[in-house]
Amino acid sequence: MPLPAKAFQRWLNGVAPDTSTADICRVSGVKRTTLAQQLVRGKVAETTVVSISRAYNINPVAALATFDTYSDLASSSLPPSDKELVSQIATVDLLRAVIVRTAPTGSTGTESMDPCQPELSPPPHATSVKNWVDAIDDGELRHRVSTATGVAPQNYSAQLTANRLAPELAVATSRAAGVGLAGGLVATGLVTEAEAGWPRGARQAALDRLSDGDLAALSGERLQALGKTLRRQEQDQEQTERIWENLV
Amino acid sequence: MIEMLQWTTLIASGAAALSRIPNLVRRKNRSIFYALALLTLAILLSIDGPYLAIDALLGGANVANLLLRFIIFGAIFFLALRIAAGFGDSRGIQLIRGRTGMLALGLISTVLVVCFVLMDTSGSSAGLVHVAAKNQQNALLVEYYGAAGRAYPAYVCLAILPGMLRAIRSPLPALLRMSAALLAVGSIAIPLSLLFPLVPPGLGFLRFIVNYTAILCFVVGLALIWVASGRAGRKHRPLPAERH
Repeated sequence: MPLPAKAFQRWLNGVAPDTSTADICRVSGVKRTTLAQQLVRGKVAETTVVSISRAYNINPVAALATFDTYSDLASSSLPPSDKELVSQIATVDLLRAVIVRTAPTGSTGTESMDPCQPELSPPPHATSVKNWVDAIDDGELRHRVSTATGVAPQNYSAQLTANRLAPELAVATSRAAGVGLAGGLVATGLVTEAEAGWPRGARQAALDRLSDGDLAALSGERLQALGKTLRRQEQDQEQTERIWENLV
Repeated sequence: MIEMLQWTTLIASGAAALSRIPNLVRRKNRSIFYALALLTLAILLSIDGPYLAIDALLGGANVANLLLRFIIFGAIFFLALRIAAGFGDSRGIQLIRGRTGMLALGLISTVLVVCFVLMDTSGSSAGLVHVAAKNQQNALLVEYYGAAGRAYPAYVCLAILPGMLRAIRSPLPALLRMSAALLAVGSIAIPLSLLFPLVPPGLGFLRFIVNYTAILCFVVGLALIWVASGRAGRKHRPLPAERH
């Protein structure tokens, strides 16, 4: 459930008093029609609040915390766990780490194997939501989230598969897993690592702490999942093409 | 109302057939054109005016009706095979083209012809209404004849129905799933026509509605596939070359 328009107006008044909606939209890059529609419907999307807070140099997580639904975001100070951090590293970056670690030292010579590694690409990545939930799941997590929010497990799974998760659900997931509440917002790409209070270089550090075995196993899991997704896409594509071929 | 449904179906089917001419020239999936052309002809023959005119040319003994039945068989055979192949339903293809399918076609055709020969068919009459009214034996024969004429399309539709139902739930693009749903509705409606003898005379219009909605569903379902392909074509066309 997005944020109530009334609460949003109140917040906006505090953030940008005496500023016209048009000005707010221009500064924040939110489309005027979008905002107008959200206000008319009485529900304002979390992304709107995030965009506007960034424009006014306010931390988006803190801004969200001023709304009732997200009030506990403010009091949450748990740092992300290593598993969470690693889950937000793109598969390609993991594979690069595998190559760097397994290449015999001194024999590489190529630039990409340089010890000063290229920076990890920022989250979210192609499967960041599902990887994040898997990283904090103790086996019962999905069940608990479903009970707490009333969202059917299959709808929840469908969102994860599509690499989406409604912000409220993301926070509910963190809450149910007992981890830092903003982690899900990072995984869904609503806020950045820095905005969520993740220390700079935390993901790289967590990656460096992974043993070679764990890194290889994790990369293998990611590759296997990737292979499955790709194969499914290929099958769907084949099916469509068979229709073109026979019926067009 | 029924007249309008008939002519709408005729126009839709004729337009669909005409739209296949470029592909006919390019020799691409030509059987779809033939099936649609046969279907158009069949609809034409099922409308009173055209039926009487054509039957008069054929001797006025309702041979046009027998012709109509075999035209329908041909159209549904080609169309269903294409559809089953397109949706990757090898079991459907097997059921239509395999031994069971050929046996069904042969048996039903025999019954059809025997009934026709045994009837006193003089006097052109669309739907053989006047022929049935002549005497009780004729009435019975017309009933069997009609049932045989509906049996083969029903068999073929039931053969492709599971494939269509699977396609609706598959992860295919939305337009294609909609098309599969329409084809499924058509494939359900045609076997329903087997129940026509049970329809009370007062509700006779239901027959027309079932028949023509079935055909419309098939034609619109196919047209949707072409729309979908046109859309996909604008974005990416992975098929290498025209197939022959």
